[in-house]
Amino acid sequence: MASGENRYPSLPSPQSQKQALRGPLARSGLQKNRYLFTSDHKMIGRQYFFLSLAAVLVGAWLSLLMRVHLVWPKLAIPFLGEIKPENYLGYLTMHGTLMVFFVLSTVPQNGFGTFFLPLQLGSSEMAFPRLNMAGFWTTLISFLVLLGAFFVPGGPSGAGWTQYAPLSALAASGPGQALGTDLWLISIALFCLATIMSAINFVTTTVKRRAPGMRMMRMPLTCWAWFVTAILSLLAFSVLTAAVVMLLLDRHAGTNFFVPGGLLVSGKSDPHAGGSPLLWQHLFWFFGHPEVYIAILPAMGVTSHLLSIFARKPVFGYKAMVGATIAIGALGFMVWGHHMFASGMDPHAGFAFSALTTAIAVPSAVKTFNWVGTLYGGRIRFTTPLLFSVGFVSLFITGGLTGPLLAQPALDVYLHDTYFVVAHFHLIMAMAGLFAVFSATYFWFPKMFGRMMNERMGRLHFWITLAGAYATFVPMHLLGIAGHPRRYSDLTGVQYVAAMLPLQKFVTVAAVITLAGQIVFLANLFWSMWKGPAAEANPWDCTTLEWTLPSPAPDEGFGRQHPVVNHGPYEYGVSVAENDFVRQDTPAS
Amino acid sequence: MPIISERVEIERKPKLGGGGPGKIPHRRGFGGGDDGDYKPPQDYRSRNQRMRRYRIVMAICLFSVTVVFVVLTMLYVVRLGRGRYDLDTHQQVQDWIALKLPYLQLWINSMVLLLSSGTLELARRGMERKEEFAVMGIIPPRMRRELPWLSITLLLGFCFLGGQILVWQNLSDQGTFQAANPSRVYFYLLTGTHAVHLAGGLMALICAAVARFFAVRFESQRIAVEVTSWYWHYLAFLWFGIFALVHFARG
Repeated sequence: MASGENRYPSLPSPQSQKQALRGPLARSGLQKNRYLFTSDHKMIGRQYFFLSLAAVLVGAWLSLLMRVHLVWPKLAIPFLGEIKPENYLGYLTMHGTLMVFFVLSTVPQNGFGTFFLPLQLGSSEMAFPRLNMAGFWTTLISFLVLLGAFFVPGGPSGAGWTQYAPLSALAASGPGQALGTDLWLISIALFCLATIMSAINFVTTTVKRRAPGMRMMRMPLTCWAWFVTAILSLLAFSVLTAAVVMLLLDRHAGTNFFVPGGLLVSGKSDPHAGGSPLLWQHLFWFFGHPEVYIAILPAMGVTSHLLSIFARKPVFGYKAMVGATIAIGALGFMVWGHHMFASGMDPHAGFAFSALTTAIAVPSAVKTFNWVGTLYGGRIRFTTPLLFSVGFVSLFITGGLTGPLLAQPALDVYLHDTYFVVAHFHLIMAMAGLFAVFSATYFWFPKMFGRMMNERMGRLHFWITLAGAYATFVPMHLLGIAGHPRRYSDLTGVQYVAAMLPLQKFVTVAAVITLAGQIVFLANLFWSMWKGPAAEANPWDCTTLEWTLPSPAPDEGFGRQHPVVNHGPYEYGVSVAENDFVRQDTPAS
Repeated sequence: MPIISERVEIERKPKLGGGGPGKIPHRRGFGGGDDGDYKPPQDYRSRNQRMRRYRIVMAICLFSVTVVFVVLTMLYVVRLGRGRYDLDTHQQVQDWIALKLPYLQLWINSMVLLLSSGTLELARRGMERKEEFAVMGIIPPRMRRELPWLSITLLLGFCFLGGQILVWQNLSDQGTFQAANPSRVYFYLLTGTHAVHLAGGLMALICAAVARFFAVRFESQRIAVEVTSWYWHYLAFLWFGIFALVHFARG
């Protein structure tokens, strides 16, 4: 097979061939509009990207409202007026749900994964294009159902993204607990279905659609991360589906899974009896903890990938990285109890959960060590994607170090439901996850949209966001240690909390500046989409297969000529011809 | 250019890449997974490839279904064993009242399901035979004494679901139980989830059965029957698991 840049030219292929490759819907009238109703994985990847962008904008706006309300409780917001406590709880729930489900579980896995998993494996399509499309549209419907809660009487649910029963099970327990909570539950049930559909597709694609020569141990670490995450999604979201359906039955079918007897709700005695609120917590966290890894594993994969590319060195310890990914995934299923230390659990169980949680620090440390090892001695190219990847490592360490602290039951009983926990998961999950999303966006933008993003604006965006992330969340640790509880809309009457108001104000100001800094990103994104300089096929000198295609990736993918893989994914720092890397499809010497 | 440092050549052999030196000639089939019979990927969407992909998907789905039923079984066992926490006395209270299961109905249902599993297997094998003719381009001769196994399976499937509805009615007619009795709620949950899954399988079979009137390729029809038969056998197996659970752990 010939080598060189033009091995997969995007020549106009015969119409029939193009249609065959575009998927089964090409035959029907549905696919007349190739941007909307398409089963092409690249377009679906972009659709997921924009869906998450919409979700993150709404979620960020809600966080802004909450931060402002916390420090100026009486301030009237334009168009909204003064924020009432039930509104605050509704914003809190929607912020958490949008960010966890529709941003952190969606864009790293379904957005970039749908776009790049087949390309990196050397395939022109997912294993099941129509299933892929069904997954996206179900996610979109679920997103709209969730947002619909803002427009129903009582507003959105106020039980938090964890929806603890019995608060979430009884319609009389609050303004948003009637229709708002129903919409929340239906939305999440749909989201679970969509994620399972997409996860099935990811696993099958990875197993069945690798190009010739693409052995499992030759897959880029991104693909490994997507693969393991898909398996986690299958397990975790199945359980959440069951739990959500059970909660809906409790609310509407008169069953008693989660509601204990003898409750007085708004002055009336509740007819439910015999349920266990702890049961919901077990079921929810059996999903909820793996969910953390569903969000962060693809981010880790992207970071490993990018550090190697921009340090121009092979990944330090590829096999160890793969092993650590699998170990984190497996351990992630055994530690859900550490969210429930304060529920009065048996100390023996608490000890087991604590020990297993601390054990996750081992594969995480392996990863961190390997990231630093990859950078060490490299010829680093300080591009925006690299900066965000290094930022990810930094935030992952900072946020991760408080993890083993919170895994100690004795400490956790004190720190539980304080701002310490908020700071911990925002740093490690939200900020680190978003940094990986940013780095992936800057990195893959040329392949997705055919143009380069502006480097200067990218670097400005990085420094604002890094400084802002630390300025926002580090003081929150102090608030938590001082005992500031989370989830309260207004604590002005409480004296020891009032003493922390200056620090809260600092956090709010930092958050506002950080969010304002994201305008730089949005401007860069949309400006570059239309006006950015046209990208070459391989602008970052990468080895993996997606960069053998022209930018943006053509509709037909690799066309009929499938690549044959002869090399590992990270052969950088070698001198071959004029390059310092060996592309995966370079013929074996 | 976004690259801001010089490209420096360093002496290193191209062997350091993560994932090995890459000199072993690959023997993996594209799209066909690790089957070791790599051929040039001319017709990777061919019959066997498609069938294999769908089989993998079914295996993954069964994995997911298993998780759901394992969780429900655990809930059942834990609820049975530990009772509930009473808010007034602050103690665990045993409030599980054993059900009077309608065993005759349940056994009839089980036999119907087992029978449907058998007829579906016969339908699957019949289609396999037919496809061998289809591949050769021959219109299959009408096999003698071959019953419409797929339709019979559908009928039996509906019988099973109807039978389950009768069982639920029987339980609610007993009437001696308070609404809060956990044993009934969990019985409904387990059998209800099973019935919903089975109804999904029935829908797939209906699609496969009517497909022949809509110019769907025989191959697709056969794939649908094949993977649904896996699902169906698995649900039959699950049913006996559930039956055993509610019998042996009835409190």
